[in-house]
Amino acid sequence: MASLITCPHCGVRPKEEFAIRGDASCVRPEPLDSDEAWHDYVYVRANPRGRAVEHWHHIAGCRRFLVVERDTATHEVYSVADAAEFARRAER
Amino acid sequence: MVRDYNNRHALEQKLRAAPTPPAADHLMVGHWRAVATVLARSGQEETVQRAIASVPEFAMRFSAPAEWLVISEAEAPSGLARRLEELCGAMAHVIDLSDGRVVFRLSGPNGRRILAKGIGVDLHPDVFSSGGSANVLCGHIPINLARVGEDVFELIAPRSFAESLFDDLMRMGREFELTAAFAD
Repeated sequence: MASLITCPHCGVRPKEEFAIRGDASCVRPEPLDSDEAWHDYVYVRANPRGRAVEHWHHIAGCRRFLVVERDTATHEVYSVADAAEFARRAER
Repeated sequence: MVRDYNNRHALEQKLRAAPTPPAADHLMVGHWRAVATVLARSGQEETVQRAIASVPEFAMRFSAPAEWLVISEAEAPSGLARRLEELCGAMAHVIDLSDGRVVFRLSGPNGRRILAKGIGVDLHPDVFSSGGSANVLCGHIPINLARVGEDVFELIAPRSFAESLFDDLMRMGREFELTAAFAD
């Protein structure tokens, strides 16, 4: 199956146009939180098989960061959103 | 040395031979086209878009949300940047890219089939209609592709990739005997 991502700004695009920038579910700790919290945030990542939320950078297109929810085993894509839009929704 | 670089077109070496008469499928390389990028301030996107779209001699190409490439055949590079500055004022940031971009125009009945060899975007007129534009990858080169007519595409490539893109396009068009020449 071709890896196609539907960019909210550019439409359906092949994965070659993107750079995958890793887990998008990490929440940045407060500046004065414990070293452990910061260590976990910077270095520790899960490697899930199944649904995962990731940052994808549309480097050859609109150059926006996207949040892609997909299955890491089947590459079924569930949702794609602009990262700014995603952050705004999370704040609410 | 800097002046030599600026005065030499990126494809001068490639298009040295005497021009051949254009075949059905023809690649035209723009001579010093004025290109500028416009980045609208957040909240001013629509005002900026309307202001630039109101000038008939400017062609506007979508590059990203609140970001466009503006090209003009009538204006000189400095004139284009100045007019855009006047038009947008504090609503947008304007950068002149004329020395950094090369504009290609691919026309002919097989244009779509030629581009399909390097571009992973559906170019059917129902999907990518006339007047549409987008940043895409052609092979490994990021370009801005626009459909300016039913069978006419315009590609805007970074100058340093122009030779490579030119070679790729000529190879992609070889089965259709694609010809190439400078625009004037």
